[in-house]
Amino acid sequence: MARALAATPAPTVEKLGGSSNARSRRIVDRIATALLWTAASLVVFLLLLFIGFEFVKGASTISWHFLTGSPTAAEAGGGVGPLIFNSFYILILTLIFTVPIAVCSGMYLQEYAAGGRFKDVVQFSAESLATVPSIVMGLFGLLVFVTAFHWHFTALGGALTLTLLNLPAMMRVTQEALAGVPGTYREASMGLGATKWQTVLKVILPSAIGPLTTGVVLVSGRIFGETAALIYTAGASVSYGRGAYDFNPFHTAETLAVGLYQVHREALVPDVDRIANGSALVLLVMVLVFNVVARVVGRQLTVRFTGKA
Amino acid sequence: MVGVRAGKAHRDERIALVVLMSCSGIFVVAIALILGFLAFNGTELFWGDRYSLFSFLFSSDWDALNGHFGAAAFIAGSLVATGLAILIGGPLGVAIGVFFSELAPKRVASAFKPAIELLVGIPSVVYGWLGLTLLVPAIATTFHLPDGDSLLAAGIVLSIMILPTVISLSEDALRVVPVSLREGSAALGATRWETITRVLLPSASSGLAVAVILGVARAIGETLAVQLVLGNAAIFPTSLLQPAAALTSEIVMDMGDAPDGSGFKHALFSMALLLLLIAMGLILLIRFALRRRT
Repeated sequence: MARALAATPAPTVEKLGGSSNARSRRIVDRIATALLWTAASLVVFLLLLFIGFEFVKGASTISWHFLTGSPTAAEAGGGVGPLIFNSFYILILTLIFTVPIAVCSGMYLQEYAAGGRFKDVVQFSAESLATVPSIVMGLFGLLVFVTAFHWHFTALGGALTLTLLNLPAMMRVTQEALAGVPGTYREASMGLGATKWQTVLKVILPSAIGPLTTGVVLVSGRIFGETAALIYTAGASVSYGRGAYDFNPFHTAETLAVGLYQVHREALVPDVDRIANGSALVLLVMVLVFNVVARVVGRQLTVRFTGKA
Repeated sequence: MVGVRAGKAHRDERIALVVLMSCSGIFVVAIALILGFLAFNGTELFWGDRYSLFSFLFSSDWDALNGHFGAAAFIAGSLVATGLAILIGGPLGVAIGVFFSELAPKRVASAFKPAIELLVGIPSVVYGWLGLTLLVPAIATTFHLPDGDSLLAAGIVLSIMILPTVISLSEDALRVVPVSLREGSAALGATRWETITRVLLPSASSGLAVAVILGVARAIGETLAVQLVLGNAAIFPTSLLQPAAALTSEIVMDMGDAPDGSGFKHALFSMALLLLLIAMGLILLIRFALRRRT
């Protein structure tokens, strides 16, 4: 920081305070302010545009039949029920693996590790893991779960691949939630004679449960929409004939997001656009739902466990 | 009694530490396995099939069924689409980061911030679909093309997808600049814009670099959003308005068709390895940028 500052020539009084160009400087400032406001509004505009566009295109598709019906092989009028089910099923499987591992490692890094080699290595590994592109993770899942384990395309293989993909984000969420707990809580608990683990488990974790839940639900939203990592691990077809709602983790499980990709790419049905627009709208609405749920539940839990609004 | 309980607490403490450290160890094992598996499968093309690394990287002769595995067109496609995304999304993201850190009134920030979080949450395949149905036709009409699938479309979609990353990280980078620097600059008579461009941006430069690098990392690995709007033509890109292919889009398109054990499949794994190496390189670059700061 100091070096960056030193590298910038210090603004001199004439440069900044010369009255001759004071007016033009003020005008530049105004224009810049206006541009920054415009840029920021663009984000909101884009979001509204996307949601509005998908509502216009997809709303007519949405029906009880579309949301619960099975996909068809070649005729029009198929639904996405099993795909939505698979999305939730793989999400839950993924969370079962991700949350315990990520919360434990987050607790270790935030509360236990004071520094040292192991912490550095774990942190570097997590950062590296976080940048592995989702398609590359999918190929790793293909090599390990599909090929080496001979599982073929399975919901479990997909979930384990997504676990690897989302562990770093979930760990960060944990670290941030724990970092928000005031140090005085730790001191008070240790001062009462609690051990470190008792402090972490009974004081820090309950105090952090609100933000932690918010984070977990937000990451869940991303898991729900993940596509590239699933195409070659969980597969891109529904297990036809086994009943639409298949709980066997060793069966192929095409999710809604994968279905959106697949229907565009190689479906034989004549109403591809209808199904794709409907799926895209459902996915968008789910993003909204996950975000709202994350905030509401997080706030409720914070109130219940810490008494703070 | 007290002794027994203290003993139990002590034992719990040790078990907890072992469990927590094992969970942390999973990260190390995972990245090591990923690197190992991809390094092994991704170099098979060069060891096993004796295809030259030079041709893989620099030839755009891709005819996978006849043993030609020049991936230069895909490498170029990935780099150009990513470059375009950074050219658009980088400055825009930093500008919006500046807005949130320096300008935004609390109420405006609390209205805009959720919008950014929603943009993060939109699945990549939905971005691709939006690009395909909203942007691609618009490009076709604007430039009078038969088809709007192009590098330009991919670059624009990617620039929107990296925006949230760049915005929130550059905002964080600007917020850690001490208030005293802003006050000092204002006391010298600088306008807010002068303070931003001459004091804040230079002071936050390494943090802003990290924001942009992570944007690059997100863009280069993005798959479906790119695949859906790029047109998937294995041609070396010479114009932003032509259809092209990227490393990621080619992998996702062909992986299902490539026969096991073939040079074709090995070449796809080589492309995945290349993506992984780029991602790791970016991580090292970030480490370097952050070390320079401290």
